[in-house]
Amino acid sequence: MRWSNVLAQQVRYMLALGLGFTANVALADIAYITCQNGEELSRIDLAAMRETARWPLPGKPAGVATGTDNDLFTVSAGSKVVRRLSMETGETLSQITLEGGPIGIAFDPRRERLFVSNWYNKRLWVLDSVTLRVEAELPTGLAPAGIAISNDGRILASADKDDNQVSVFDAETLQPLRQVPVGIRPFGLRFAPDGRLFVGNVGSNDVSVLDASTGNVLATIPVGERPYGIAFAKDRAFVSNQYANSLSVISLETLEPEALVEVGEYPEGIDATENEELLVIANWFDNTVSIVDPNTLSVVETLETCDGPRAFGRFLGGGRQ
Amino acid sequence: MNRRRFLATTAAALVPTITRAHGPTRQKVTLTTEVAAPPEEVWAAIGNFDDMSWHPAVFSTQGNGGNEIDATRLLTLGQEGGPTIAEILYKYSAEKMSYSYRITEVAVEVLPVTNYSSHLTVKPRDGGGSIVEWRGAFYRGYPNNDPPAELNDEAAIAAITGVYQAGLDALVERFGAAS
Repeated sequence: MRWSNVLAQQVRYMLALGLGFTANVALADIAYITCQNGEELSRIDLAAMRETARWPLPGKPAGVATGTDNDLFTVSAGSKVVRRLSMETGETLSQITLEGGPIGIAFDPRRERLFVSNWYNKRLWVLDSVTLRVEAELPTGLAPAGIAISNDGRILASADKDDNQVSVFDAETLQPLRQVPVGIRPFGLRFAPDGRLFVGNVGSNDVSVLDASTGNVLATIPVGERPYGIAFAKDRAFVSNQYANSLSVISLETLEPEALVEVGEYPEGIDATENEELLVIANWFDNTVSIVDPNTLSVVETLETCDGPRAFGRFLGGGRQ
Repeated sequence: MNRRRFLATTAAALVPTITRAHGPTRQKVTLTTEVAAPPEEVWAAIGNFDDMSWHPAVFSTQGNGGNEIDATRLLTLGQEGGPTIAEILYKYSAEKMSYSYRITEVAVEVLPVTNYSSHLTVKPRDGGGSIVEWRGAFYRGYPNNDPPAELNDEAAIAAITGVYQAGLDALVERFGAAS
């Protein structure tokens, strides 16, 4: 049995005991920013508040997912290559070329699976997260983009952009459960800590909030122009608005818009640290990341990164301390 | 010797290839050049929003509002009575030696782009001299699917690249190549 399997077993055990999922893993807060234009991966240390490495990453990388055990997963949309990289050195540990249109990516630590959306063929690929071999394919609607896994590990969802819907699957059995109509052209999506699914609709400039287990749409919340990514911290949802150069802040309690935070130009990928004390946003046009305090709703730092940062997915984590 | 470096002149499409049924995607062009003069000297020449005289394609600049946010300028290209580009300033930092502007009005026959925004920045160069970076983001001139060749993504990228190149070449000529 691989080490990571042993760890996964421990995690399952801890979950069964109701213990925190990450309680046994000491994580430094590191951001891994995929830069599509510059074809680089930027490593930003949030304790030091500086970029600590920049590694070459060919093929127009955009999609990203942090794994466990030093693994980072990336999708190069241009060359159609999915890679497993070392978080410490940036070197490629394994890779696969996927014929079709790979874009979004999500990692399931409980089952060591990786999901990659196939924009052109109405599918999700299911990969072994170590070898990256294709294990299965799941049917979606037209143009699946973002993928998310619920925090309890039970539900998998894809945003099917050109069908204005979300496809929902059982993450364990991989059985399709339902397809839920949302706003116009959903692209990014993520599960809130309480299990509700937030979906950003770039065509209707709003966020659909779903109960993914029933398919009920609980709310539709107006945000800024072209919502791209969603992250959660301090009982708030933060949505990056590509055209508005801002984050929309939504109360998880009332599901009402609370505030706007000005960030850099053309903000895209967004993620929150484990302790929910910082948000990191990749600004595609500015070649910077904005670091935002989710308590005060202010930008605490703006750091340079590589050219054309997208960071589409979960990009914070790892770098074992 | 050509010291201009193409950092990237590539499509920004997140999707794997051209967007087909999904409409245009935002493009991004970044060009830099290195010159011998110090940043202060270069910024003094190019850091005023109401003075584009450093660019060889610009015949005249009619500015309104100096370097204040929301200042505007009207560039006349080539010669008196030539085609014009109207622009607005939305970010300005003398300290960072950087300004950002948008095009508010231009005919696609003049510049085949829409929704154009740009940053112009001067930075110190390791070993002396300056780095000038000119960066733009825009959509192609044709908003729908199946653009004609003169209004497609490639045409937009080529046009902006040409404008930046001409401007940066003029700066190398004026301030000398960095060594």
